[in-house]
Amino acid sequence: MKRVVFILAMMTARPAFAQVTADTANPLAGNADATEAGHALFGKMNCAGCHAYDLTGGMGPDLTDANWLYGGKPGEIFHTIAEGTPRGMPAWKDKLTPDEIWQLVTYIQSKHQ
Amino acid sequence: MAFHKILFDAALLCGAALPALSAAPRGDAAPSNKSFTGATANLAPGDAPGQWTRQARDYANTRYSPLTQINKKNVAHLRVAWSFSDGQMYGHEGAPLVVGDTMYLVTPYPNIAYALDLSKTGAPIKWVFLPNPDPRAIGEACCDKVLRGWAYADGKLIYNLLDDHTVAVDAQTGKEVWRVLLDDVSKGPTMTQAAFVVGDKVYVGSSGGELGTNGWFQALDVKDGHTVWKAFTNGPDSGALIGPDFQPFYPWMKGKDLGVSTWPKEAWKQGASAPWGWVSYDPDLNLVYYGTSNPGPRVPSQRPGLNLWSSAVFARDASTGAAKWAYQFTPHDEWDYDGVNENVLLEIPWKGTKRKVMVHFNRNGFAYTIDRTNGEVLVAEPFGLQNWAKKIDLTTGMPIVNDAAHPIVKKKVENICPPDIGVKNWNPSAFSPRTGLLYAGVFNSCMDLTNHEVKYIPGSPYDGMEMVRKAGPGGSWGEFIAWDPVKGKRVWSVKENLYVWSGAVATGSDLIFYGTMDGWFRAVDARSGKVLWSQKLGSGITAAPMTFLGPDKRQYVAVYTGVGGGAGVLRREKGYMPGGNTLYVFSVDGAGIGLGASQLVSHAQAAAPVSVPPAAAHN
Repeated sequence: MKRVVFILAMMTARPAFAQVTADTANPLAGNADATEAGHALFGKMNCAGCHAYDLTGGMGPDLTDANWLYGGKPGEIFHTIAEGTPRGMPAWKDKLTPDEIWQLVTYIQSKHQ
Repeated sequence: MAFHKILFDAALLCGAALPALSAAPRGDAAPSNKSFTGATANLAPGDAPGQWTRQARDYANTRYSPLTQINKKNVAHLRVAWSFSDGQMYGHEGAPLVVGDTMYLVTPYPNIAYALDLSKTGAPIKWVFLPNPDPRAIGEACCDKVLRGWAYADGKLIYNLLDDHTVAVDAQTGKEVWRVLLDDVSKGPTMTQAAFVVGDKVYVGSSGGELGTNGWFQALDVKDGHTVWKAFTNGPDSGALIGPDFQPFYPWMKGKDLGVSTWPKEAWKQGASAPWGWVSYDPDLNLVYYGTSNPGPRVPSQRPGLNLWSSAVFARDASTGAAKWAYQFTPHDEWDYDGVNENVLLEIPWKGTKRKVMVHFNRNGFAYTIDRTNGEVLVAEPFGLQNWAKKIDLTTGMPIVNDAAHPIVKKKVENICPPDIGVKNWNPSAFSPRTGLLYAGVFNSCMDLTNHEVKYIPGSPYDGMEMVRKAGPGGSWGEFIAWDPVKGKRVWSVKENLYVWSGAVATGSDLIFYGTMDGWFRAVDARSGKVLWSQKLGSGITAAPMTFLGPDKRQYVAVYTGVGGGAGVLRREKGYMPGGNTLYVFSVDGAGIGLGASQLVSHAQAAAPVSVPPAAAHN
């Protein structure tokens, strides 16, 4: 059953940048492959340089605690990664595809207890 | 067991017991005026004793005040005279300046400046200046959004903004006089350095060792801020102002364009080596001295070579910027040890002669005593826990690196000491010409290090070090030490729970003041290390204390609380305090301008003098 839901999710067209709202569900939620891909991107795109390899923060905020400066819903995390923040988080929409950003969201959510 | 350990630690904290390292006579038994080493310093420019007009008080960076009103007899009676909270929650690192009757403070980002009027009861605010730096800088500053100090010159308060500006403010009115843009914050560089003024020039350096920046140091004109000279750390000799005058002591630093050829092709352009630390000046030699940061990226396998001129110190002609000599402390720095810590300029007796030296406590754990006329290393001895090098070879000036300390990509290498933050960080030491010793807060810790390859993406970290930092043997993270720069030996130490990441100040009455990350501000005996006074404050201390005479001719000691900056690496350790932003000013019995009638009462008194029968009122 889980697998069917997953395949359906994968078949559904991903919302492009403009269509993602705060309430957009993560199309890759809980997907193990997406989590692993997000993990790789987290290192490759230097996310770990600010948020630490264990996501507990350093230069940038802790991504494992309950405090979300720009919202903790999947669509809000997507928006923060895509657009950046006025306080120095770079915008990644020119360097990552929507799929890749959802992979990062999936990885971050997997580490968020 | 645990109980005994607590008792033992408590004894050490109270100064009731000193480690076996203690070699000096104790307490009152110590000779009261004898120097331990014969080391002295030129205290130019020789400000009036009660003033504190630059971060380290003098060009030599001694942080020595000749004041003696507060002394060993009355120091136990120090109490808060007044306090001042600036409302900003990032780490506080600088020392207040006192020029005339005014105290100058600048906050961490957003870098708000305050002038406090010391001639009035309560030291009220004279003016506030809000520079409104670009908030994008918040995301580009590696180690909290700090400022290590500010400068006063020519009637102006001059300091760096996190968003790569230097600004000058009229010290009387608080109005902006000039502001110059020195780099592009969106690409990673920020400015956290304490501007340093000599004559008509202000010396400033860039930050961004973890951001793939191209570090620089420059002299600006005090009048209008224009760049008089600018020296990049790396790259071709032309940009680094390396010319015919450049005479490094050791042959491996001689050659053309070493700032290019000691890197893989073009890698120097992201090689960081940012001069974010302290600047010293020798008025006789007309040389400025400053250090450079780690090379970028922090992963060494991506940059084979010496990586000149990272993790090094430069001596430059103060007027032209022409490099005179350099010395790389940690060639091909594999551990993020940097070279930016303070260089304290001393004269020492050396084999029957006097030598002009600088003393430098490097993050790599060695304290160097270097001939500052030519860059020859005279002494290089460990001042704390390190195992990355067997020693510094004084014939070559090179460290002998321990094979087990090399980091490996995708593999955890355990127990490298010290970790990236070093045995001591930027927190400035003090020197007393009375004792001939230096006084420094130090760290006792190691790391398990896993390196990851990284690629350069402008404006994001170019880093790659994954670390677990842990306390070294003995269980305490830090201590405060007295150091003999001639013999290269500790004289005494006081153990502390966490890293001692505050600056220090030495006084003419043989007192040393420093603070701890768990919120204690202490005065210790400069000769014995005996703790004479401790006051618990509202946050941890990672700033430099200072001392001054008020317009009331009373001696005060001041220190900012507000733990943060790089010290935040211990934020999950027991005892680490919440952030803060309060300047505490102390005097004997808390007497002076912080006590007295409020303004309302003063007005009432002015209108109708209050007469209180002196004795009857209490009976």
